[in-house]
Amino acid sequence: MAGMELLSDQGFRTDGRKPNELRRIRFKKGVFKQADGSAYLEQGNTKVLAAVYGPHEIRGGKGKALHDQLLINCQYSMATFSTQDRKRRPRGDRKSLEMTAHLKQTFNAVILTELYPKVQLDIYVEVLQSDGGNYCASVNAATLALIDAGIPMKDYVIACSGSYIRDTPVVDINNLEESSAGAEIIMAILPRCEQIVFIEMNSRLHEDHLSPVMDQVMTGCKDIFNILNQQVRDELCKKSAQDRIVDSG
Amino acid sequence: MATSRICVPGQRLNRADDKHIGGKGTYSRNGFIYSSVLGYWEERPTNDNTEILISVHTGETQTVIPSIDDIVTARVTNVNPRFCKCEILSVGTTPLCDVYRGLVRKEDVRATEKDRVEMYRCFRPGDIIIARVLSLGDAQSYILGTAENELGVAIGMSEAGVSMVPVSWCKMQCPKTLNEEFRKVAKVRPEYIQTVHQG
Repeated sequence: MAGMELLSDQGFRTDGRKPNELRRIRFKKGVFKQADGSAYLEQGNTKVLAAVYGPHEIRGGKGKALHDQLLINCQYSMATFSTQDRKRRPRGDRKSLEMTAHLKQTFNAVILTELYPKVQLDIYVEVLQSDGGNYCASVNAATLALIDAGIPMKDYVIACSGSYIRDTPVVDINNLEESSAGAEIIMAILPRCEQIVFIEMNSRLHEDHLSPVMDQVMTGCKDIFNILNQQVRDELCKKSAQDRIVDSG
Repeated sequence: MATSRICVPGQRLNRADDKHIGGKGTYSRNGFIYSSVLGYWEERPTNDNTEILISVHTGETQTVIPSIDDIVTARVTNVNPRFCKCEILSVGTTPLCDVYRGLVRKEDVRATEKDRVEMYRCFRPGDIIIARVLSLGDAQSYILGTAENELGVAIGMSEAGVSMVPVSWCKMQCPKTLNEEFRKVAKVRPEYIQTVHQG
């Protein structure tokens, strides 16, 4: 990376963003008919599909059933063409299994699991293109898919990443910044009550810098929440207006 | 105003005081009622008019699962001397999108003379039965019971493959062959038939 600064003297990042600027977020709910809920989400060049099935009777090994709450089954996989080098295994490697466990943990905290004892909910997440922030995009897409499926949740769960480059906290880091910058902080929060449901840090960060980065990531999460929430509301509003036209003949 | 009626998960709806209670699609935390699904706001006074029930209804039917004391409709798939297996098709009047396995044990078939019950004289595969969920059972399936007058076989299939007419609480007659077969017949309540037909 000779001659390439992750944060230029003018305060711009390699892809031209400001330190506190998010990548463009676009999404679509209900992309699959067969699934009970689904969503496609783009955060910059990271593209993710999520599908939710259920709640339905426990499949495969009845012993897994929880007698007082819903069993959440997650599967995270990355398409073989999602990264620079073609991947050998789309799922089942150590990284995907870890991600699966993290997603399961995150959604266990936010879905009202006690409403559905002894049944199972499947959340499938597929990364189509990876450009950093895979966990974040997966969580955000799965949240939208859950809303689409009508699964009762405490709140949206929104995830965002952040880092510390040249004494500045930066938010929503891409693949280049992820691989060459120092620490990476990933947080999943409930945006309205500001509860942290998941936090992870890779590599080392000075203690003094932790709280500014966390604050910046928290702000990023809330920005993402506002974008998602606005569009979800607008879509339902549009849909109900259309329904009203149909009803009135 | 349509926009104000739209609720998203986690949206605060009202204070959870003695005047307001949360219904479907809501949950309460720290003395407030929050929405748990994406849908439309609905406010309705409760039956005794003392409280206001706040619920969020989605356009589609909410996913239901059988819970204890629900009346379910099920199809018998398998009968043996100790129990009969069935697949639950609907809970109350809401059809399920996915079948759940149920089990009627011999001792839960009727309320009296439990020890003289013979499973083959109560249910046959293909019958549609109305039953009550007694427990969520072991890991395998829901335990159902038909020990009430209103519960039992609603639609019985004769050996000729025709749906039979009930003649007494324990017999049904085939309209084609006029053969009588034994069943634990349900006294189906008229209002139940009505709701099923509407649904």
